[in-house]
Amino acid sequence: MSYQSVLTTCPYCGCGCQFYLQVVNGNIVGVVPDKTHPIAEGALCIKGWNAHVFVQREDRLQKPLIKENGEFREATWDEALGLVAEKFSEIRNKHGSNALATLASAKCTNEENYLLQKLTRATIGTNNVDHCARLCHASTVAGLAYAFGSGAMTNSVPEIDDSDVILITGSNTIEQHPLIGSRIVKARERGAKIILIDPRRVPMRLFSDLYLQFIPGTDVAWLNGMMHVILKEKLHDKKYIKERTEGFQELEKVVKKYDPKTVEKICGIPANLLEEAARMFAKAERGSIFYSMGITQHITGTDNVKSVANLAMLTGNVGKRAAGVNPLRGQNNVQGACDVGALPNVYPGYQAVANEEAGQKFEKAWGTKLSREPGLTVVEITDAAREGNVKGIYIVGENPMISDPDIEHVRQGLEALDFLVVQDIFMTETAALADVVLPASSYAEKEGTFTATDRRVQRVRKAIEPVGESREDWKIIIDIAKRLGGKGFDFESPAEIMDELASLAPIYGGVSFDRLDAGEDLLWPVKEAGHAGTEFLHEGQFTRGKGVFSPIEFREADELPDKEYPYILTTGRLMFQYHTGTMTRRTPLLESESPNPFVEVNPEDAKELGIKDGDWLEVSSRRGRIKIQSRVVNIVGKGVVFIPFHYAEAAANVLTNPALDPDSKIPELKVCAVAMKPLPK
Amino acid sequence: MLVLMLEDIRKLVKKTLDGGKVDGVLALWRENGRVGPHLFVKGDDISTLEIDPKYNLAAVAILALASGAKKIALIGRGCDERALVELFKRYQIDENAIEFIGMACSAEQAKFCECDIPYPTKIQFGKKVKGVVPPELNDVNEMSLDERFAYWRDAFAKCVKCYGCKNACPVCVCEECVLEDPMWVKKGEIPPAFPMFHLIRAYHMADRCVQCYECEEACPMDIPLTLLYRQLRQDMKELFDYLPGASDAKPPLTTVLEDEKLEEGA
Repeated sequence: MSYQSVLTTCPYCGCGCQFYLQVVNGNIVGVVPDKTHPIAEGALCIKGWNAHVFVQREDRLQKPLIKENGEFREATWDEALGLVAEKFSEIRNKHGSNALATLASAKCTNEENYLLQKLTRATIGTNNVDHCARLCHASTVAGLAYAFGSGAMTNSVPEIDDSDVILITGSNTIEQHPLIGSRIVKARERGAKIILIDPRRVPMRLFSDLYLQFIPGTDVAWLNGMMHVILKEKLHDKKYIKERTEGFQELEKVVKKYDPKTVEKICGIPANLLEEAARMFAKAERGSIFYSMGITQHITGTDNVKSVANLAMLTGNVGKRAAGVNPLRGQNNVQGACDVGALPNVYPGYQAVANEEAGQKFEKAWGTKLSREPGLTVVEITDAAREGNVKGIYIVGENPMISDPDIEHVRQGLEALDFLVVQDIFMTETAALADVVLPASSYAEKEGTFTATDRRVQRVRKAIEPVGESREDWKIIIDIAKRLGGKGFDFESPAEIMDELASLAPIYGGVSFDRLDAGEDLLWPVKEAGHAGTEFLHEGQFTRGKGVFSPIEFREADELPDKEYPYILTTGRLMFQYHTGTMTRRTPLLESESPNPFVEVNPEDAKELGIKDGDWLEVSSRRGRIKIQSRVVNIVGKGVVFIPFHYAEAAANVLTNPALDPDSKIPELKVCAVAMKPLPK
Repeated sequence: MLVLMLEDIRKLVKKTLDGGKVDGVLALWRENGRVGPHLFVKGDDISTLEIDPKYNLAAVAILALASGAKKIALIGRGCDERALVELFKRYQIDENAIEFIGMACSAEQAKFCECDIPYPTKIQFGKKVKGVVPPELNDVNEMSLDERFAYWRDAFAKCVKCYGCKNACPVCVCEECVLEDPMWVKKGEIPPAFPMFHLIRAYHMADRCVQCYECEEACPMDIPLTLLYRQLRQDMKELFDYLPGASDAKPPLTTVLEDEKLEEGA
């Protein structure tokens, strides 16, 4: 007889809702939202309510698998781990450390990601470690670190309650961050004004005071245009600019060129609406900006982020409560995976690998020589694999065969490898290509921490034992490290791993399992044991000292529509599915809500193509083609189409453009040119 | 006063567990700095027991009993008792498997939940306070039909289809839910079609809503569901003289009596 209610953190988006898993005799049968949690407040979205369903599915990977003659066979842990160590050692000895790479996981805990980057750097000897943050907020980390000195949300989620103007751009907040979306809607009911600027008429439009639709890829132009209006009408915060920032003159010169009429021609936003939005935002007492992948996934991603930072500083909205720049992070622990150094250029706590002082600090702590050369990023790793420079990859809980741009290229890269190891909870499209598959544990089977989008470090707790012979990821990583001769992996528990992380990453300096288990809300930076954490950043002064304005000129997207490929394709996600669908497509209610891929087509375009809602189309780009059903709706503007990227059977990323932002190496997932051809009925 | 009451409840829980007549006591506890449901068993630290915030524990009781417990005690409020009565009637819980220990709600709690009967029939702890009428009830009743339609249309336009209202409801126990059937509600739409989704649920709640406020608390958009269901409760009282959870009378909308002529139905 056992009924247990286990408090843990949701494994889906970055909101960081907590709930109680309901466990009856070792089976997780439901969730109860935590009424005392500051984000969930007793509520959840549909994914949170169903977050237990996939955990004990029969098709969970339960035994290690080794591929022989193109077929998987079951193996013992000893055999599988032995083979991984043998092959990785072989590659390292023959081709050097940089011929190996690892992909960390924004689904795994901070402790697991910390171990994986330590294994990569200290044991394998390369900085080739990256993860899906490259595809979502690499440009945020780069752009905000440049402008402010710190690349995370400046404010905490509960502060939304006190914002008086909220500008949302490139974020489908209600569908992708439901408990943040609902908070914004409720703030409006108390009097806040909402400005929505987005290429799609997303659900938030119903709750917006102003909605501006624009052509994907023209963000810098309208952001400069808003600043143009603000400066022209002298609505900028002169005192703040003088005391807290630098580089204002250069910005002023650039935005002068972006008058609303010019911007209208570039973006398609009526000049009067842009003026109205600029005034509304500039007059805010506490204006906050929320953005997501619509800003970041462009070859101008870092430029876009810097422009958002410009607008916030111009109006004096950084460094105070309920105002600021708030990039919403998509994964439950993508913030944490970045924080703990699962990035090729930084150690835990954003300490640069190229920095001699940081290098020496970590060499001393880990007792080994470390490379000062930044490693390869996600797309660069698969490119290097295709070119034969990377020979072995260890992928933990990622599915690049659906999530990365230009999937055909990704496949060629992974197939060219000498050795691919995938550690996951299900047989994903990527795991199917592996030489060895290691069965990992889900969030419900282990202890650890996730860091939510607002820098909130929270506990994940074990509700059941790992299913079958699967094992906690942190234990698997330790085993591989030890078999590769790694030192410094003698951890008995995730709490001990956190202690080591806290001792090396100053932003986590005061984080410990004891404090979290006592119910403390810890938002980093948490400098030391007695420090309460930080609700909002840059109070009094920016992390880097003064905030820096960047003069940014508008640049066009890498691939524009032309005669051959006349439409702009933009991609995104749906409320009921999640990323590559590994979890949601195994959750019957979620799958039943949105079982089929579709392409959203504007009614005018549909008329010109001679198609009706539900007709089948072939959508093609320079990289590939898919067959997909149309959904004719007035959500995208004319000339623009939208495809959710969840579906392997019509994967949007077959079509997308892998062109990279030069600063952050984020691919341009939000804009590419496509053609559409009706298929015979 | 509240502290004294909490101490008295803890003492009784310890006594109940030591008495050995139940396998556990379902209540709330504070663990890891937060408060949620817990099945106390003999030997547990009773000082962790809490009574706030309110969680309706009737639905949790189904899970606790599913683990194999023969009998449990439950520290509950008026709405827990009413929900249990409905669950007994609907054969979800065996009446003999629950020892109900009743607690009256504070005036603040009653106001928060807009509850008309903020106490159980048997009060072992606390003092009965007056029921609360939702402040909007009269306003909505005085609206013209068009205004009222617009009021509910706007309220339900906020729905994000999380099904939280259904999931949190202690008396929503159908094995197959009509809300999930594409014949009635189109799949994948946000907000779900108005008024089907919400009126189907409202109809299903008519003879079972025990006014526990769990649905409204679980709604991330704060849709005033309690207000809607309160009106239904009123109608049920007037039409059938039936108040869900108040007696063991059969639910009128889902029961056909042997001598009942169907065409005479209201």
